[in-house]
Amino acid sequence: MIRWMKQVGWRHLVAILAVLFSLGPIVFVLSAALNPLGTLSSSTLIPSGASADNFTRLLQDTNFPSWFLNSVAIAGLASLISLFLSALAAFAFSRRRFKGRRTGLLSLLLIQMFPQFLAVVALFLIFSKITDLWPAIGFNTWWGMILLYLGGALGVNTWLMKGFFDTVPKELDESATVDGASHTGIFFRILLPLVSPILAVSGLLSFIGTINEFLLANLFLTDGGSKTLAVGLYGLVQGSERNTNFGIFCAGTLLTAIPTVGVFMYLQRYIVEGLSAGAVKG
Amino acid sequence: MRIRTAGVIAASMLCLAGVAACGDKKDDKAAGSNPSAAAASGELVIWADDKRSAALKPFADKFGQENGVTVKIQAISKDQQTAFLTASQQGSGPDVMVGAHDWIGNLVQNGAIDPVQLSDAQKSGIQAGAIKAITFNGQTYGVPYATENLGLIRNTELAPTAPATIEDLVATGKKLKAEKKASEILCLQSGQNGDAYHSYPLYASAGGYLFGTTASGDYDAKDLGVGKPGSIAAFEKLRALGEKGDGALKRSITGDNSIATFTGKKCAFLVSGPWATADVKKAGIKYDISPIPGFKGGKEATPFLGVQTFYVASKGKNKALAQEFVTNYVTTPDLAVALYNAEPRPPALTAALEQVKGQDPDLAKWADAGKNAIPLPAIPAMAAIWEPFGKAEAAVIGGAEAKTTVEAAAKTISSSIK
Amino acid sequence: MTTQLEGPATRALPAPEETTPERSTTTAGLLVKIVLLGLLVATAVWAAFPLASGEHWVGLGILLATTAGLLYLYITPRHIPAKYLVPGTIFLIIFQIFPVLYTASTAFTNFGDGHRGTKAEAVTAIQTASVTRVPGSTEYQLKIVTEGDPATGALAFLITDPKSGQVSIGDADGLKPADGNPPAGWTVLNAGQASARSKEITDFAVPTAAGAIRSAGLSRAYEGKAVRAFDPATDSITDTTSGKVWKADDDEGAFIAADGERLAQGWKVDVGFANFTRVLTDETISKDFLRTLIWDFIFAIASTGGTFVLGMFCAIALQSNRMRFKGFYRVAMVLPYAMPSFAMLLVWRDMFNTDFGLINNVLGIHVDWLGSAFSAQIAVLLVQLWLGYPYMFLVTTGALQAIPGELTDATKVDGAGPFQAFRAVKLPLLLVALSPLLISSFAFNFNNFNAIYLTTEGGPFPADNPSNGATDLLITYTYRLAFGGSGAQYGFAAAISIFIFLIVAVVSVVSFRRTRAQEEVYS
Repeated sequence: MIRWMKQVGWRHLVAILAVLFSLGPIVFVLSAALNPLGTLSSSTLIPSGASADNFTRLLQDTNFPSWFLNSVAIAGLASLISLFLSALAAFAFSRRRFKGRRTGLLSLLLIQMFPQFLAVVALFLIFSKITDLWPAIGFNTWWGMILLYLGGALGVNTWLMKGFFDTVPKELDESATVDGASHTGIFFRILLPLVSPILAVSGLLSFIGTINEFLLANLFLTDGGSKTLAVGLYGLVQGSERNTNFGIFCAGTLLTAIPTVGVFMYLQRYIVEGLSAGAVKG
Repeated sequence: MRIRTAGVIAASMLCLAGVAACGDKKDDKAAGSNPSAAAASGELVIWADDKRSAALKPFADKFGQENGVTVKIQAISKDQQTAFLTASQQGSGPDVMVGAHDWIGNLVQNGAIDPVQLSDAQKSGIQAGAIKAITFNGQTYGVPYATENLGLIRNTELAPTAPATIEDLVATGKKLKAEKKASEILCLQSGQNGDAYHSYPLYASAGGYLFGTTASGDYDAKDLGVGKPGSIAAFEKLRALGEKGDGALKRSITGDNSIATFTGKKCAFLVSGPWATADVKKAGIKYDISPIPGFKGGKEATPFLGVQTFYVASKGKNKALAQEFVTNYVTTPDLAVALYNAEPRPPALTAALEQVKGQDPDLAKWADAGKNAIPLPAIPAMAAIWEPFGKAEAAVIGGAEAKTTVEAAAKTISSSIK
Repeated sequence: MTTQLEGPATRALPAPEETTPERSTTTAGLLVKIVLLGLLVATAVWAAFPLASGEHWVGLGILLATTAGLLYLYITPRHIPAKYLVPGTIFLIIFQIFPVLYTASTAFTNFGDGHRGTKAEAVTAIQTASVTRVPGSTEYQLKIVTEGDPATGALAFLITDPKSGQVSIGDADGLKPADGNPPAGWTVLNAGQASARSKEITDFAVPTAAGAIRSAGLSRAYEGKAVRAFDPATDSITDTTSGKVWKADDDEGAFIAADGERLAQGWKVDVGFANFTRVLTDETISKDFLRTLIWDFIFAIASTGGTFVLGMFCAIALQSNRMRFKGFYRVAMVLPYAMPSFAMLLVWRDMFNTDFGLINNVLGIHVDWLGSAFSAQIAVLLVQLWLGYPYMFLVTTGALQAIPGELTDATKVDGAGPFQAFRAVKLPLLLVALSPLLISSFAFNFNNFNAIYLTTEGGPFPADNPSNGATDLLITYTYRLAFGGSGAQYGFAAAISIFIFLIVAVVSVVSFRRTRAQEEVYS
């Protein structure tokens, strides 16, 4: 028993405590979502009445289904493409030595530090031009938003992946080169499979980051049908209407987590499987 | 190697030729319908917040059909004013904007909206307070469609009669609290950082003012009332109602929970606006609406009057049509009634108000509560008031000394009004 | 034990990129390459047409040069790093670098509310705003007519006096009586046709003795007069009724009268370093700057450190093959990160409420969490921990998986306890992999506007100082100064941002330099 406690039991204890910490506020949201009066003031975790009223109203009175679709499409595509771009760059930063490598890495970090809500004015300027010229990738379009989010493809994720590319021994590349593999071959066939856990993690992080993005989406998606979940939900708690819609808002918040959890469940096996021991030996 | 490179180039060129051909076709089609010309020929773009855009939709479609134009309604979820200004400046803003009247000062200084010329008949069909609210520097900017002001909602089971003064209200509230019938005396939202909009009626009743007025009746940014002796006295009175005094005003009552506390029957009195009634009805509470009572022997507790307004954007692509829509279509009672049905705020059009008064007895009561409401100042300087005023309010409610608090707020406000 | 990670001390690949041709490219690879390049060219062609038809020659030139550059890059066997870096960099330049540079440049202007546009726009706005109805004048019914084609023919106003029924037709030469409504030969424009010529109609004015007849929409006209006029010769605005004159001041970007009164509508001008000197000399900023800076550092370090430690701890706890329910635990731990953060920030704020909040109610206490400086600081850090630890949990989980299993096996053989084994082997590796991430997390939290603004708004505020609160970060504090007054001051805000940026950048560069030593060990 003590042995079990020492090896496995404490793990459960930590996990249970963390789960309680994580779920507390979420249960509170769930309770507000089930509470037909849907207000924030309920100071208990048990709702005063349980009904799916808020969920049905969310689906009937709002554009929720289309918000959902837009969010999943934009966040899904944007995170996939940006994952790829980011991995490409990380490969160069990790495996190649070239002039300006460290400066480049540092600049990637620094550029992220500029507060985005100031840059909004300039982005708006760019997008007004784009909309005039190519309406298909301008305001109120999926592709416009995706392009915009790709601006952030090289950033924190590149750093993350570069760090992990660094941990893969170079002997692997070398022996592959001796076997006649090109640099693309090394990248796609050797490195990417080896770092699949971190690809999965980066993909998930970028998906979550994109699906929750609000600032730009609010300004760039104005057509009712083109809005994303974050924008649509925020609209429900604006100003004096916050009280009235809080239950619906909570219902929406809970449903918003579904695609993310789905992506996580799907990616989990890649994250967990990890690096098979044999591969390292090359 | 060379051959391979040449092959890549050749094959790419083939692809290019193929796709370019498709591209050409696409472009031809586009040229046929000519999107840019179509946009100019009859498209009216209207921006509003989420709720109102839904209500506007059928009317916009009707206007479009009658006039052979397309009307697009777009909803901005947050920061509508900033979004409008940014978009306008880049030329990708709407033709018509829907928003609160206190934006006018800022929109005018940015050259974002045009004046609207209302005929005498149209003007006389709109409530006088609403017209006053949208008049800025002698011009009318936009057409009002709904008004809103605070009032006192009370639970008639707990408090059958409307209190004549704040002192009466506090006495009743304390009694209910002692009898364990309620846990709060008054639901007036403050939060940790205060709420100038909701506390203003009490401030006014206790003798404070925000801005003086010029000879022409406009607000005068140079005459700041915060920091004057009257305002200090008023904050003293708020302090006496606060946590260290009567406990009627509390920082724990926030915009998120004040209505809910009332509908949860924990509190007999709620200071709120017409937007609160939907919840109160849903909770099945017997209620009545009366004017916010003032302090005993004090001035009247005048709330702010807010006016929801249609604006014509200066940099819109279709200003003639926008003017037509705003001056000659928004001024019809049908639209005002529909917007009322979407959200129960009293219509600004007298005819529409008469029409809906019958179906909703609350309207007359709201109107009565706002009988002497003063229009929310629309001058840009008002933006400097909200935060410092609210924080000063929260501080005195928490028990801080009134004089130093108000003077600090006044200093912050006047340094940011330049 | 660690030999496989250290590798030979080569700094470049054994096959130098400049000389070796690409090898063993498969036919499939070649095909993919051709298709991708074809797509690139096709996109360029698609993008070129609107540029060409809109005569944006500079844009077209850039497009051509970029496309040619890309084609060259991917056809030549050289420049291998660039092949991998360029795709992301293009987006980075358009959507990040350009906006940042543009914003930084506004720091040298007075850009903000009242100073958004050009002088010409300000003049137009002043004149338009001064058009008032001539007192006592008639309101007319209006039809917009033309003798020619509705799309191009010269316009005229056909107006009817509702009282007398008198119909007149007016153009730039003035009004004359019309015979018929509409007179023979004239076509009335319908709303669609009229709105196609919206600008012409809005600008159209029929001169009269008292002013001019203008349109109010498409169905009404009024007689109005512009009270204020701009005179380019004297560069000033004159009010024709009062005679007051406002002279243009190109340093201020405003029209200013002799008595100091300025017109509300101004324009954007360059102000040099004025915004920067204001940041340095503004009394309100300097007074509370140091206190806020210290708290900002505490906040950023504690947020990053706290989430990292908790996240890592949870990741390690779940790192065991013998453990059950791992899937459930993982999903539950990730949930806070899956919820929209702005929503959860609002929820947390309400949970901290003194009288109605969940926390006080569950614990049966009565703490004014957000009302006193220290507890409010603890509260925001707790919220940060909740929001941020799933991120660190995910990252460390991925990182732990990427660390070869032999390492731990080897230490086990050495007889070290699990904790020592972790500290000796995994932690250093984790830190190498994650330190850049920790730096960027620090930088993010240093400027984490939402975390503060949606919970405490910077409060609690001392009673005698409403401009600086106990949980204010530099960013929330200074933005209150830039946007809390009468209108947004973007130029000033940009200048402040540059200062904050410099602080964060210096900290990051210093920490970054320290990572170099670690990185070299593994490359």
